[in-house]
Amino acid sequence: MQVVGGIALAPLLPGLVQHWKARLQGRRGPTPLQPYRELRRLWGKSMVDPEGTGPVYRLAPLVVTAAIVAGVLVVPVSQAVPNLGLGHDALVLVGLLALAHFAITCASWDVSNGFSLMGASRDLMLSVFVEATFVVSLAVVALIADTTDLRGVVAGTAGVDAWANPALALGAVGFAFVAIAETGRQPVDNPDTHLELTMIHEGPLLEYAGRDLAYLQWAAAARHWLVLVLAAQVFLPHARGVWLQLAVLPLALVVLCAALAIVETLLAKMRVLLVPRLLAVGLAAALLGIAAWIAGAP
Amino acid sequence: MTGLLLGAGLGAIAIGGVLSVWGKAFSAGLWLQATGAGGVSVAGFWALGSQAALGDTFTSSFVPRFGVDGLSGLFLGILGLIAAPALVFSVRYLRPSPTGRAVGVLTALFVLALALVLCARDPVTFLAGWESMTLVPAVVILVSRGADRRARKIVFTYLAVTHLGGAGTWVAILLLAHAGAIGGHTTIASGSGLQTAIALSALLGMGTKAGVMPLHVWLPRAHPIAPAPVSALMSGVMIKVAIYGLVRVLIDWDGVLPVWFGVLVLAVGALSALGGVVYALFEHDLKRLLAMHSIENVGIIVLGIGASLVLRARGADTWAAFALAAALLHCVNHAVFKALLFLGAGAFERAVGSLEIDRLGGLLRRMPWSGGAFLVGAMAIAGLPPLNGFASEWLTLQALIHVPRYGHIGDGVAGALALAALAATAALAVFCFVKVVGLVLLGAPRTPAVAAAEEPPIPLRAALIFLALACVALGFAPGILFGPLVGLAPWSSKVGTQLGLHLPGTGSLPTVGIAVALVGLTVALALVRGNRRAASAPTWASGQIVEPALNWTSAGFTKSLRLVLEFVLRPEREISSKAEGGVLQEVVYSGNVPHLIEDRLYRPVERLGFRAAVHARRLQSGSVGTYVVYLIGLVIVLLLAVRLGAIG
Repeated sequence: MQVVGGIALAPLLPGLVQHWKARLQGRRGPTPLQPYRELRRLWGKSMVDPEGTGPVYRLAPLVVTAAIVAGVLVVPVSQAVPNLGLGHDALVLVGLLALAHFAITCASWDVSNGFSLMGASRDLMLSVFVEATFVVSLAVVALIADTTDLRGVVAGTAGVDAWANPALALGAVGFAFVAIAETGRQPVDNPDTHLELTMIHEGPLLEYAGRDLAYLQWAAAARHWLVLVLAAQVFLPHARGVWLQLAVLPLALVVLCAALAIVETLLAKMRVLLVPRLLAVGLAAALLGIAAWIAGAP
Repeated sequence: MTGLLLGAGLGAIAIGGVLSVWGKAFSAGLWLQATGAGGVSVAGFWALGSQAALGDTFTSSFVPRFGVDGLSGLFLGILGLIAAPALVFSVRYLRPSPTGRAVGVLTALFVLALALVLCARDPVTFLAGWESMTLVPAVVILVSRGADRRARKIVFTYLAVTHLGGAGTWVAILLLAHAGAIGGHTTIASGSGLQTAIALSALLGMGTKAGVMPLHVWLPRAHPIAPAPVSALMSGVMIKVAIYGLVRVLIDWDGVLPVWFGVLVLAVGALSALGGVVYALFEHDLKRLLAMHSIENVGIIVLGIGASLVLRARGADTWAAFALAAALLHCVNHAVFKALLFLGAGAFERAVGSLEIDRLGGLLRRMPWSGGAFLVGAMAIAGLPPLNGFASEWLTLQALIHVPRYGHIGDGVAGALALAALAATAALAVFCFVKVVGLVLLGAPRTPAVAAAEEPPIPLRAALIFLALACVALGFAPGILFGPLVGLAPWSSKVGTQLGLHLPGTGSLPTVGIAVALVGLTVALALVRGNRRAASAPTWASGQIVEPALNWTSAGFTKSLRLVLEFVLRPEREISSKAEGGVLQEVVYSGNVPHLIEDRLYRPVERLGFRAAVHARRLQSGSVGTYVVYLIGLVIVLLLAVRLGAIG
């Protein structure tokens, strides 16, 4: 369920966001299945090796995708899922995302494309603030659940009782900023941009084509899966029972995609140098969450 | 058995050192030293695993005593593990010239001095070893740099800072000896003035030697100018031996320290971690950059120690032991990957002649073995799974999450801030090493010398590959070390034997599963991608022409962060353009990120010192008459003191 859901359904999420965004803006827009069509088209095309590139450029799409698949296996869809040998630790997820960032930004040095490097530089700069906020908001829920095992966290934050202390709400505020930044959505990054100068996450992908690009686009879609599943099953109110959690999850994901579409429609992209301030707000909220947890701890 | 092996190893290093004086026996001497270091490493890790004490136990009396216990064993293990490849590297890196031979002998002396600190069981031997481990590298730098004036000035700064700060070590050890507390024979009362004095002076003295901010100024100056194998020993082992001293005093001998002291240690660790990595990002010289990263990693280790102190003060003994084990595991890991990176830098310098980071590029293709090993080291220090840096950073993060779990509001929030600092540090390290890997290993060569670079001889390559494999192995099975490390805490705590890291009552890090999954998935994805028939094409670059003049530089890549942190870092830049007849002829750009701690803290102190020296010199006029007046004045003061009953 987790594997199939994470790998096969992931492209549906950005498709849904784009679909609704177009609707909200009064356009008809592409169908939610558009990402699948793009992946099929890319799968049939040939790849390109820019002159002077080496093994790092060729390996990067594989490493990025492997790290994200591993991430999909780490993030549980409910409080009871089989352990596939990778465990379900929250901090491991942070490490896997860092590995993906490292691989793709190294690849942009290998092609020496100035626009790729500009995107890579911004991506890494933002990830400093994203990672700090991510870890602290995960620490909030880890303290509430008394474990960093995400299955335990899903169980520990379920129901109404966990919301008695403002800690969880503050952690959720922190995580909301992480979710937007990690999925590369407005106001942090604009996934629709065709202007290389403004690219962040798209920049390092500029030179890729064919199946390499298909992998990377799937990985970008799967990041949506990772953060939205985390949002639905940890940071937002969710049910206690395993089957109920699984039943509500699709609905929650659809609602979250709609929320992302609304945010994208309402907000314009920020100046990239101002984004760290936005993320600092998230970090401060998550830190306050820890303080609130200590103050309310038995 | 262990003692025999240790003795034989140290003996081999001594004999090897003597042998390398002769030009003919030079390589044989270095090989013998390397073999001895290997023996020391095996003996050290064996002593750690068996947790058995050998030889004498600690004493506060001033009689030379020698022995080994688990903690000494761990650091002896690190010493041997780094010294062996560094010495193998030296076989072809150093030449049997008079300078090279002198460095060969001094390396042996340096290793023996480090071992002396670790085996000392009384205050005199400890302090003697401590001082010689500071002095020997100074001599190495002076010998290898010859008449370089800048090097002499740096060595002076190094000795001045480490001796001024190092006075704290003397105060701490002598106070402990006076109280009879060395070896924990008497317990020092918690919260007493004596305890505070010992803890603060140890943090000052040993912190200086470990390169903790703001006492770090000597480190980024002195480490880069030593020969590569000695740099590896300094960054990999010498600052770890300072951590050994800190653990001995703060954890073993000084009783249970108050919470505020643990919070102070956390603050110092967070400052070092963040400060080290931020200034590393803006360095342009590869070895200086690596030295700044040593400060960052010492900061991470100190965060672990701080978490251990706070948790112990709050009575969470199990987690205090885990936090200590996290710090010690990071000591091992940092030693391995930092030695790898310094030796790699040495190999690049040997092949190219320069380490200016903007003038390298494409070395992975020219030197696939050394470059590949360096890439592994870069990923390990950036804390990426499945390598060893991630395992110990994961443990440290877990320890920091448990500080608010057991703490009150003050220390809990301090723990949360330290957690955020460590997470940001990890991301900054990724940023920095993407820059290093990109500028050094990837892209096109940037100078003709780089384009002609060639792989170094086999011993150099072997040393690098050995250390890279150690990074992989320690990342695959950190649990093998973790069990014994938890057992090193003086209060009793245990975890079962394991390969990955499984902690009771929280998440776990199944390193084996993660490593297998990542490698397996990468291979599977490569198979699915199928036979790669890719068209070769010029870099598209959105239609822009790619030419060397438009190559990105280190300063360009880090500009986004420099602008974001402008209000803290206060970077300086100057652009001047020259135009003739309305046509731009020349643009000169210079930029610099000044080191704030040096500018704001050390410069004023330095200026004050010089001003005071001017006044003090007036006292020494050189005329006999003045000195007679001083003597008469002194006699009068003494007589008055006796009359008033202040003396005798």
